[in-house]
Amino acid sequence: MEGKEVYQCKWLFGIMDKRYHKRHALALAISAVTSLMLLINPALTSRLIDEVIVAQNPEPLLGLLLAMLAFKALREGLRYYMVISLETTSQNTLFNLRRKLFEKLQYQDMQFFSRHRTGDLMTRLSADMDWCRHFLSYMDYQVVDCVFMFVSTLTYFFLVSWKLTLALFIVTPVLMIITKLYSSRVRPKFMGMRERLAEMNTAAQENIAGTRVVKAFAREDYEKERFDERSRAFRDANLEINKMWLSFYPFIELLANMMTLITLFLGGFFIIQGELTPGELTIFTSLSWALSNPMRNLGNLINDLQRFATSASKVMEIYYSRPGIEDRKDAVDMPAMRGEVEFRGVSFSHGKKVILDDVSFHIRPGQTLAIMGPTGAGKTTVIQLISRFYDVSAGEILVDGMDVRRWKLDQLRRGIGTATQDVFLFSDTVEGNIAFGDQDLTLDDVRDFARRADADGFVSRMPEGYDTIIGERGVGLSGGQRQRIALARALAMRPAILVMDDTTSAVDMETERYIQEQLRNLPFPCTKIVIAQRISSVRDADLILVIQDGRIAQRGTHEELIRVPGYYYETYALQNDLPPKPACARPAQEGGIC
Amino acid sequence: MARNKFDVDETLESPFSFKHLKRAMKYIGKHRSRMLLALLLSAMASISSLFVPKLMEWVLDDAVPNRDVGMLLTLAGVFVLIIAVVIAFTTARSRIMAHVSQEIIYDIRKDLFAHLQKLPFSYYDSRPAGKILVRVINYVNSVSDILSNGIINAILEIINIVFIIGFMYATNAVLATIIVAGLPVFIAIIFYLKPRQRRAWQSQSNKNSNYNAYLAESIDGVKVSQLFVRQGENMAIMRRLATACREAWMRAAYISNSVWLSSEMITQIVFTLMYIAGVYWMGGAIVSFGVILAMGQYVSRFWQPITNLANIYNSFINNIAYLERIFETMDEPVVVDDAPGAKDLPPITGEVRYEHVTFGYEPPVEVLHDVNFHIRPGESIALVGPTGAGKSTVVNLLCRFYNLNGGRILLAAEDGAEHDISACTLHSLRSQLGIMLQDSFIFSGTIMDNIRYGRLDATDQEVEAAARAVRAHDFISQMDMGYDTVVGERGGSLSQGQKQLIAFARTLLCDPRILILDEATSSIDTKTERLLQEGIQALLKGRTSFIIAHRLSTIKTCDKIFYVGDGGILEAGSHEELMARHGLYHALYTAQLQEQN
Repeated sequence: MEGKEVYQCKWLFGIMDKRYHKRHALALAISAVTSLMLLINPALTSRLIDEVIVAQNPEPLLGLLLAMLAFKALREGLRYYMVISLETTSQNTLFNLRRKLFEKLQYQDMQFFSRHRTGDLMTRLSADMDWCRHFLSYMDYQVVDCVFMFVSTLTYFFLVSWKLTLALFIVTPVLMIITKLYSSRVRPKFMGMRERLAEMNTAAQENIAGTRVVKAFAREDYEKERFDERSRAFRDANLEINKMWLSFYPFIELLANMMTLITLFLGGFFIIQGELTPGELTIFTSLSWALSNPMRNLGNLINDLQRFATSASKVMEIYYSRPGIEDRKDAVDMPAMRGEVEFRGVSFSHGKKVILDDVSFHIRPGQTLAIMGPTGAGKTTVIQLISRFYDVSAGEILVDGMDVRRWKLDQLRRGIGTATQDVFLFSDTVEGNIAFGDQDLTLDDVRDFARRADADGFVSRMPEGYDTIIGERGVGLSGGQRQRIALARALAMRPAILVMDDTTSAVDMETERYIQEQLRNLPFPCTKIVIAQRISSVRDADLILVIQDGRIAQRGTHEELIRVPGYYYETYALQNDLPPKPACARPAQEGGIC
Repeated sequence: MARNKFDVDETLESPFSFKHLKRAMKYIGKHRSRMLLALLLSAMASISSLFVPKLMEWVLDDAVPNRDVGMLLTLAGVFVLIIAVVIAFTTARSRIMAHVSQEIIYDIRKDLFAHLQKLPFSYYDSRPAGKILVRVINYVNSVSDILSNGIINAILEIINIVFIIGFMYATNAVLATIIVAGLPVFIAIIFYLKPRQRRAWQSQSNKNSNYNAYLAESIDGVKVSQLFVRQGENMAIMRRLATACREAWMRAAYISNSVWLSSEMITQIVFTLMYIAGVYWMGGAIVSFGVILAMGQYVSRFWQPITNLANIYNSFINNIAYLERIFETMDEPVVVDDAPGAKDLPPITGEVRYEHVTFGYEPPVEVLHDVNFHIRPGESIALVGPTGAGKSTVVNLLCRFYNLNGGRILLAAEDGAEHDISACTLHSLRSQLGIMLQDSFIFSGTIMDNIRYGRLDATDQEVEAAARAVRAHDFISQMDMGYDTVVGERGGSLSQGQKQLIAFARTLLCDPRILILDEATSSIDTKTERLLQEGIQALLKGRTSFIIAHRLSTIKTCDKIFYVGDGGILEAGSHEELMARHGLYHALYTAQLQEQN
């Protein structure tokens, strides 16, 4: 094994619960002992032949046979215990790995998820982790078995006839060279195969997720073609590995058979020479498999080991990844959030691209902030920065007077209820989805929040009401219905800051009016941040910001902004069929009020 | 329809029957000749290697006692020859079978994927994506070996057993009978374990599928989880699912491993009995050294294939659970499919007629009831009305995403005839419609590729022209790599509005006669929206268009406005006509206007 694989093994053992370490070690010890026990019965068989058959004396027969049976029963019993132990400990490790990696994923930052696609992560958490399990439950004892069997048989042979053993031993170095050569050649092929698998996984995953678009464009054939391509690539990668293996296999097999050849014929020759008794030779012949089997197994073990190494490195990558956003050491325990938000000269860049540039504003608890602006201007980024999905590049964001980077993430985010633009619902009941942020919510509360988001009506009309399971991403619901469930979900957090990112874009005006009315009379105090395109959604806000190209282009209240020329008025005019210039009595000053 | 949640097992309706295997023959059958060849090669290899014990017998019984070095060398030569033949045959077989097994997986996967493409939305809507994914990828991978090498090996082992029985009887009939006598016992044990094993593996595959489904969903929804600080609860769920996996696995492990345990023990007992018989029963005369040695070899050579068969059977039972799942998916009814004898829809004119259209997603609840309307080529139609009234349904039916419960939808074609869409091929229908859905799904890949999804043979210039028309060109060209910028899964780094613009460009690019825009601009700011509308004016000329929007200011200029509600079209007419009518539309419009001011 190379250094890298040794490191991976150590890592894997480290994941296993401490209490299972002993059991795993015991199982491997049993593997060693039981592979030694394999030598006992052939030894007894040879005595049987020499003492019973050659000597034509039936007396010792029963005793020997019973001893053999007893040994066999003991050995197989131990083996069974070993296999079950290894299954137990490897399942424990798999369980820990799953838990640990799932936790990692839960806390990873958004950049991580833009680097890794779902299909890729799924491959790591299923197929790759299964190789880790396979290593612990199977490969490691196979290695122990092979090594012990080989070494102990060789030693035993040596004691019986050192000459014959020496002859057998010459095969070993050749075998090592072949093994080494094969390992190094096949490794990149396994890497390639693993990549093809992840690509195929991703293609299928996206196709399933985007099935509506596929159907809408009648692109089934194209999709099939695309998937086929990946599927073919995966197949070819597998075949290539097989080809590589088959170019080494004949040599390994030949060497394994050399063992039998040498044993039988050189052994026969030695008997003729009088250097060996027939009984002794049966030890060799009946145990020649104990040398050749490990050799045959070697090839498979190398393949498995390479696959394990490839997979383990993929799993370790996630295991050792650290989120870019996490609680800082100087994080402060904050009292319940009041909902004050202040931006001080906040800038944010993604790569070279400046997304927000010098944004400052301040809202007090209970106030409503509205953000408008063209598509892609950075509106959503503003709210993502408050929830600390990204850290600012310059300036600072204060919530309740404390920099968000010094808040504990849990406390910060628990204080903010967000109804996201791209609604993601889980395949769970309606109730489960609304109570997502607070599982202790009673059904009455769930209904209450649903009513406030105007979702109660259509939910009650569903066949199973709040117990209806809605599909993943809320498929089966209309866009407006999904948005309303998402809003109810955000309200159910009883947040100090309620963020609504284009939450009512897909609902009709009447519903929107109803929802706005409800939001004015929430049973808990809360600051509201609204991103919207409709004037009707933002007009009542205490402060309206117009963000253009990452900068605050306009700020003020509705009354103030409709009097000055600019983005806000233009939008207002477009939505109400008004002339493109505000009817302003006095000329407007720069950004001022008329 | 009952939807499936991540933690609900998808129970199989049908008990296992050999019809699954028969069905698998469809995939295996086409490789028949190659598999036969592989079988032949293997059989020859095994037969050749059967001579090895015979060689040993000759070496020990003849060559060695007679001190015949010449014979010893000859036998060694024969041995090498046999081994060379065995290796050559085995290698050739492995090569053939690797191809066969990879092609079987490939074919199954291809068919499964193709079938998935045909399945209706309701299939996707009613179960987590992760459960579908695991069938296409993991399950198919798992069954390949059992269907190719598994079958060959099973046949081989049976042949092996037959030959060895022959050899054994040729050597010594009494001892041979003793060795074979253990077989019924073993078979009885297998039959006792079988149902338990199948249940255990099935449950394991269920638990695994649940875990995968939850995993996929958690990754996709991670942002929501973080927003709602749900990580703790999610981890508890995950721990529950992983524990279920572990327990199911262990149950299966206990049972499966008893198979080899039994076979090993029976082998030893048989061995013991054989020696006892060999020594005591042979009429006082103890059997010869060579015979007993050869028989000793045969014991393991006889029981090895039986253990192997048991193992093959074991993994067969294990994998059959996967095969059942795969076939179950392939049997999933294709609700919307080309009717028998469906014809390609000739180029359409854009004229649309709905006649007594009735539809409900989950009958008997009707979403639309007896809807009738007629649209002339080139008309623009706006659908307005309360959320959930069925506006999207009206257009979804035109695309035949669902089958009607009553009535029909006709499209006029350039050949002068009107065609019922249910009698046309889906592909010819949908490829003439440009549909922009509410959920603007963006694939991972470059922006260029995403827009080109609308028409695969579009040139770069055409893609850019479409992007310009919808006012997406500006933000795209500002990106680091322009049109070659790679966007992540579901559009990753793009804002919702930007995704809509790209989806819009994609729809325009396919150059449809009928354009359907379902909330196409809901996340786009008013100004861009207006620019976009101007930009696409020229493109919309001569095309029939359906527009669903909530902001009435965007649809005022449409030729016809349908007010959808109560399962039908309650009002229809131009903006002016409907305003003059002082009905529902009038109320909606004035309410909106008041709201604004």
